[in-house]
Amino acid sequence: MKARELIVIAVVLALLVLIGSGCSVIQKGTEAVSKVASSPVTKAAVALRNSFADITEEEEYYIGRSVAALILSKYDVYQNEPLTQYVNKVGSSVVAYSDRPETFAGYHFLVLNANEVNALAAPGGFIFITKGLLAKCRDEEMLASVLAHEVGHVASKHGLKAIKKSRLVDAFKMIGSDVAARYTPAELSQLTEVFEGALGDIAEQLIEKGYDRKLEYEADELSVKFATATGYNPSGLTRFLDALAKAEPAKKEGVKGWFQTHPQPQDRLDKVKAEIEDLKTLPEESKSRAQRFKQATSGLK
Amino acid sequence: MRKKTPIVILLTCLIVTAILWAADTYIVRVKTSSLRSSPKFYASTVLAIKAGDRLEKVASEGDWIQVKNAAGATGWVHKSALEPKKFNLLAAPKGLQSQATADEVALASKGFNKQVEDSYRSKNKGISFVWVDKMLLIKIPLNQAVAFLKEGKLGDFGGAK
Repeated sequence: MKARELIVIAVVLALLVLIGSGCSVIQKGTEAVSKVASSPVTKAAVALRNSFADITEEEEYYIGRSVAALILSKYDVYQNEPLTQYVNKVGSSVVAYSDRPETFAGYHFLVLNANEVNALAAPGGFIFITKGLLAKCRDEEMLASVLAHEVGHVASKHGLKAIKKSRLVDAFKMIGSDVAARYTPAELSQLTEVFEGALGDIAEQLIEKGYDRKLEYEADELSVKFATATGYNPSGLTRFLDALAKAEPAKKEGVKGWFQTHPQPQDRLDKVKAEIEDLKTLPEESKSRAQRFKQATSGLK
Repeated sequence: MRKKTPIVILLTCLIVTAILWAADTYIVRVKTSSLRSSPKFYASTVLAIKAGDRLEKVASEGDWIQVKNAAGATGWVHKSALEPKKFNLLAAPKGLQSQATADEVALASKGFNKQVEDSYRSKNKGISFVWVDKMLLIKIPLNQAVAFLKEGKLGDFGGAK
């Protein structure tokens, strides 16, 4: 190959890279959106999407909103402003020291008016905890560990993993089939069906069945990691699991999510204890945390 | 053969430079966030940033990236708020078409978006979004979040390991 040809190839390749990274950048938010939507670049990018990991932050947010709405159609909200604020402060602290502190619209926590012991995390960071679960917690470490477990489900996108792959492939094909900025009524109808299906997949796992063994273990591991990084003693999770495991069988009937999963609480407990033993140093518990927990939850007991 | 060597080096340098340039560009993928004065969540805000903003990497520390915007303002942001600008060299022979990121597609208002949610809601009128919207309004102001951490001896103010 002649030197001149090589130079030409070099220049072309360099331009290709620069154009590729520059032309598709949207510098002013949605103002430039229509230009990108109508470009062949966008169409090709859609064709590259094929798994839950390719769901964008904004799409995750819209999926999460609707999953949250489905959860809230089954549960009433426990309207106690100081308690809601407290739970959000504990949750936000854990989020700040997690692997994924930023989601499209941030993390938000709500208490559900139910006596069953349950916590649920919708994609994007909509996290719910029942009044019954709060009543099981004896201190802030236990609450923080449960919230950290739920943040772990969000951080690892466990909810999105529940969506059937075939459904996602259909959606991505549909999204990529037209370059118009908005959908036609027929496209919208089809995509809404896929959206409903995806919500059904997530709700079934989240509300009805519970996550499988592997994902629960992973969320437990992340709970230990996030709680410790925040400065909480991670033994809050072992004490919580222990309390549930020791609950009388009759009382377990009212225990949903946290008991529905395949791993037995004792198995989870053993694994979490082993993970904590591997830590070199553990944060100390504090009187001020114990005090404010007692104050915030006094109305529950 | 000897004459070709500098050309090959030049070619390699150009490609590597271009790839590195592309790798150091990020797009904000969350609705809103902040550039912070230091790589900590509770550091003061330098500048508000929003989805679609383009930022260039200056440095990094753990999961935090120091970036600068087009106006030259610099600050720190957690990597979870950013989408690295990707360049797929293998896709190059197929032309430029493969080089947009999935997030640009979302920013193009396609995918599962408000239009799809509105359509879902019109089909499922029994599903209320009132509390979902109320939930999104729950925000802990920075000063309260810091006070909570300090009081509880948490995070950067106490027992974090």
